[in-house]
Amino acid sequence: MTKDPVDVCIIGSGAGGAPMALELGRAGFKVVVLEKGAHYRPKDFVHDEILNSRRNFFMPLPWEEPHLVRVGQGGRYSRTNDAWTANCVGGGTVHMSGYFYRLKPVDFRLRSTLGEVKGATLADWPLSYEELAPFYDKAEAELGVSGEATPHPFAEPRSGPYPLPALDVHPIAKEIDRVCQEMKWHSVPTARGIISKPYRGRTACAYCALCGSYGCEMGAKSGTNASLIPAALATGNVELRPKCMARTIEVDKDGRARSVVYLDPDGVEQEQPARLVVVSCTAVESARLLLNSTSSRFPKGLANGSGLVGRNLMFSSFGESRATFRVSKQKAARPWLTAPDPFVNRSLQDFYLMPDERFGFRKGGTLGFMWTHPNPIFAAVDMAGTGKDGVFGKALKDKLRAYRDSRILQFEVYGEFLATPGTYVSVEPSVKDKYGIPVAAITLDRHPADFAATRFLVERGEEVLMRLDPDDLQRVGIAGETTILQHGTCRFGKDPATSVLDKDCRAHEVPNLYVVDGSFMPSAGSVPSTLTIAANSFRVAHNLIRKLKKG
Amino acid sequence: MARKRSPSSSLSRRSFIQRLTFFGGGVVLLGSTACKRSPPEEAKPAEPPPVGDSPHGAFSGLELATVAAACERILPRDEDPGARDANVPAYIDRMLQTPQLTQMKTDFLQGLSALERRSRSMFKKGFAEATPEQQDDLLTIFKDSGQGTGEAHFYELLVVLTLEGLLGDPSYGGNKDRVGWRLVGFDTVGTVAMAPPEGYDGPKCLRECGDHR
Repeated sequence: MTKDPVDVCIIGSGAGGAPMALELGRAGFKVVVLEKGAHYRPKDFVHDEILNSRRNFFMPLPWEEPHLVRVGQGGRYSRTNDAWTANCVGGGTVHMSGYFYRLKPVDFRLRSTLGEVKGATLADWPLSYEELAPFYDKAEAELGVSGEATPHPFAEPRSGPYPLPALDVHPIAKEIDRVCQEMKWHSVPTARGIISKPYRGRTACAYCALCGSYGCEMGAKSGTNASLIPAALATGNVELRPKCMARTIEVDKDGRARSVVYLDPDGVEQEQPARLVVVSCTAVESARLLLNSTSSRFPKGLANGSGLVGRNLMFSSFGESRATFRVSKQKAARPWLTAPDPFVNRSLQDFYLMPDERFGFRKGGTLGFMWTHPNPIFAAVDMAGTGKDGVFGKALKDKLRAYRDSRILQFEVYGEFLATPGTYVSVEPSVKDKYGIPVAAITLDRHPADFAATRFLVERGEEVLMRLDPDDLQRVGIAGETTILQHGTCRFGKDPATSVLDKDCRAHEVPNLYVVDGSFMPSAGSVPSTLTIAANSFRVAHNLIRKLKKG
Repeated sequence: MARKRSPSSSLSRRSFIQRLTFFGGGVVLLGSTACKRSPPEEAKPAEPPPVGDSPHGAFSGLELATVAAACERILPRDEDPGARDANVPAYIDRMLQTPQLTQMKTDFLQGLSALERRSRSMFKKGFAEATPEQQDDLLTIFKDSGQGTGEAHFYELLVVLTLEGLLGDPSYGGNKDRVGWRLVGFDTVGTVAMAPPEGYDGPKCLRECGDHR
């Protein structure tokens, strides 16, 4: 059935889609937001690990809606639920931890600052930090970010303090500050997308221990579900349609986007005509939607005459180590060890650029310190292990008892993930999801510079952990990728031959099509990208509204 | 879904689990292996599930006894409660009746019958009647069968379901009297805001959450 036409149809309600919905609604445009997932209310957010983390409350089941993942073009595909973020109103911002870092000025000029990298498709942004900065301010204010700006060698310029004061932290943070100071490094408070005080009608954080991977029943976590979407709906101009799965974007004879064809909650096909179509389904899923939207005008997929849609996929390089403190041994010296404060909120960015060119490419990254997640099933499954390293029986129970006597501090690395010609998203026509739509297929060919940098950062993090005098130190890995952070598949740039989108995130080939999730980013940065995606979307909305009002 | 990749591969199963710690809490679902399609070695087509012998109907009486014996070896009672004390067999029985986990149930039942057959050929008695040492030996064989084998897949399902039954919300039927949470100290970390409210029904929420139409 064909619905009444609207001004704008936005696909996706997360960090990219929600700012557009809010700003366009405020400006008086009629907007429809299609969201494939459910619209959870705060009362649906319960601290039930099985519900939240082990079934399809947030993430699709890999046998219903798989992503295919392979290493190298010759590799065999695995069906996984890798590279999905939460499927619900608010998207990944609902179950995020909310580490709200900004990019650094150098991230916008990586290639011209650090030079070309052999085997990588590194490109500068057509935008500077200074141009994006006001929209970082706006995103922080609209979403609600708590933090404290402190000086350090790679601190990005800010126009003022964070909208909200920093969250309270566990006493271990002071020890991290001390040992970093001893090494002449800078322990930086981590800004969080969680409100430390009541803010715009929302309730402040209650400091429960289950935050990341859960929805927030207080509404204190600054997901778009708690901040931007309610504000967008309040404009009266925005209609939200949950459980609506976009299938294709249709074009008219001039090659302009005409409508979005989607399946409604009952599985019935609907068509939503719109003057403008905004895609924001994550870098993997947006590429899939465009590649599946074929027509005689765009036989290779919408806006894909260049063949670049889906190319230049980037995640975030991941590394981790853990320090275990045995409570029974350390309690006398550190009586505060078992304090229930959930947050550590300390980061190290002294190595955002490497001190020298020992690995050829000088990009380093960020270390974020935190307590290991308290989810007990997750921890126990890890302790049980698999194969020859696996244990059961008394050995497993002894590990569970030792865990009871432990507090485990970890750091995560957020490292640059270089785009390579061998890392991309395609669609696999022979494999369809439960809706009958061909699924996204991910091919990975990591650049060795990523691993060298992550190893370097992990070693620096371990220096910090060792100085805290733990009872045990365990390296988890240096060669992972954080697949919920996704970028690059519709790179923006000045040249239509080397980019899909223009500087305003409008498709070079389709003048009324915009992509506003992480797809636009030509480099992924060495911080989680959620805040950057939201800030950019506010920027795109600002420029678009100016253009529309001019007529 | 076999993940036959070298441990150094950037997408090995370990790193798959580990990098998901970014969200904290590891969104792993029931095994990245749960979508595996190949049955365990030497398995015959699954027999239709008998009804009525187990409280929730996933198992026959014999199968339930085998499940109970196997998960008690994964988490035996010692100075702390074991799997049976936590009601783990009932948890597994109930969870495998979830419509979306049909494939997992099929895999689990096939693995269970393979375990029973191996026990009879090795020890001349069913798994539940074997000695704890024999049961451990057999479970170790399954554990060490190698990634991608039906035996290893079953072992992983058994461990993961047992740990879910020990440490999941009690409304799913396991973690009786919160013995699992006490074992790992989960009851002492954090604040009251952490606990699901009185009367919370996880299985119901799993079915209905987000339906506000």
